[in-house]
Amino acid sequence: MINPVEFKDKQILLTGSAVGIGRAVALLLNQMGANIVMIDIDEPGLEKLSSELKGERHKSYCYDLKNLEGIEGLVSGIVSEKGPFDGFVHCVGIRSRRPLSMLKPSAVADIMGVNFGSFIELVRCTSKSNHFRPGYSIVGVSSVSAHAGSASVTAYAASKGAMESAVRCIAKEMANRKIRINTVIPSQINTPEYVKLRKNSPSEVEQLSERQYLGLGEPIDVANAIIFLLSDMSRFITGSSIAVDGGFLAS
Amino acid sequence: MTDINPMDLTGKNVMLVGTESETCESLARQLISLGSKLVAVDPDKSKLEELVRVTGSDNFSIYSFNIFDNALIENAISDISNTFGVFDGFVYCAGSGGVKPLSFTNNEFIAGMMNFNLYPFVEIVRCLNKKGRFSEGGSIVALSSISSIKGLKSKTAYSASKAALDASVRCIAAELGSKKIRVNSVMKGWTESDMKRDFISTNMELSEENDVRRQFLGPTSSHELANLIAFLLSDATRTITGTSIVIDGGYTL
Repeated sequence: MINPVEFKDKQILLTGSAVGIGRAVALLLNQMGANIVMIDIDEPGLEKLSSELKGERHKSYCYDLKNLEGIEGLVSGIVSEKGPFDGFVHCVGIRSRRPLSMLKPSAVADIMGVNFGSFIELVRCTSKSNHFRPGYSIVGVSSVSAHAGSASVTAYAASKGAMESAVRCIAKEMANRKIRINTVIPSQINTPEYVKLRKNSPSEVEQLSERQYLGLGEPIDVANAIIFLLSDMSRFITGSSIAVDGGFLAS
Repeated sequence: MTDINPMDLTGKNVMLVGTESETCESLARQLISLGSKLVAVDPDKSKLEELVRVTGSDNFSIYSFNIFDNALIENAISDISNTFGVFDGFVYCAGSGGVKPLSFTNNEFIAGMMNFNLYPFVEIVRCLNKKGRFSEGGSIVALSSISSIKGLKSKTAYSASKAALDASVRCIAAELGSKKIRVNSVMKGWTESDMKRDFISTNMELSEENDVRRQFLGPTSSHELANLIAFLLSDATRTITGTSIVIDGGYTL
């Protein structure tokens, strides 16, 4: 039997790993033999996850990615301790809801910084020579918000739109270094964020689920798509965005 | 037979922000000839005065402040609204290009690009969306680029800022729909002025020759761009909102 998706001894950088999609990616990668370097601001969440991972070579860093200036030092520290990366998955994303009347410039800049700025900075820093191995694959977690407008998520949507657009440029720029970069586009996924939304605005959830005709997605559904993009199975895929949305964008 | 003009803008009060591009001059002329009143806003006062001179119209007012300083926008828009009344249209033409390879695309460069192409737009719309400042049925148009949907080397920050702009357009359109305010963007490809600028800056050689070839209908003139923006401002597009219209001579096909 062959397994085309194998991660034995591969090192993957994972942000936003403590909950939701990030956590599912960590658990799945762990089953496939990868060493995982986790970054999250949620220390208890990181500790809980670490205790569930098999193997000794994982490492977690409690870090607030809002602090963009510190990322360069963080990455070079990780690489000198743990060696170069084979993959990077950016799951961090603040999804704060704010009506336009309250969306002051500082609020927009905060969300852009964490969701988009930290992504580009991590890509920039990990793509330095000796920081990655050939075949390095990067996956950003975008959102259907980048494509379908909904009220009160202007800044979040803008940050995800920026991510997908940047990925197309970086894919072209980094191709000769044997780096691939793509995004996945999840819709409503059964994460703690979704549970919050369902409680606060049930009517919106109902509307969304009408378009999302395969029902509610689970974190593992998105994790599977991410693993595929990380692996050599997708060697010929770069600069693209794959919808994992139960039919949402196509309906 | 009576003449009808579906793009008639008679009596519409339009604010035009950002006047550095050639598009702006064409746009100003076109909007005025379609009957609208215009308030042009830009940091560069002499440019504004020049624009008034070349268009030579009484329906044209100007207001100068640094639109890229977000802290100034709230007061400026309040001042503009008090002076010029309720607006029926807003066009955001400001912004900046800029090319840097990824290795030099640091936070500062990205934040600077967002500060040109995204933040002032959202902040101006936020401030215009207050009682008595923007009319029901009004229209907002942002100038975007096909860079928003196509990747080019060294354009990461620029492309990201335009994609962010387009995504914000969709959300704001959803949010302002209840007030019948429409929000759209125009994704431009290669324009004649881009080509002229690049031609000069690269010692009389077309730098991205391949890209020019891809745009098989040739470069877009600023007049054609102005027509599309005027169309989106007019009541002819009463049910078009949240979209980005591509005007690129076939580049993205």
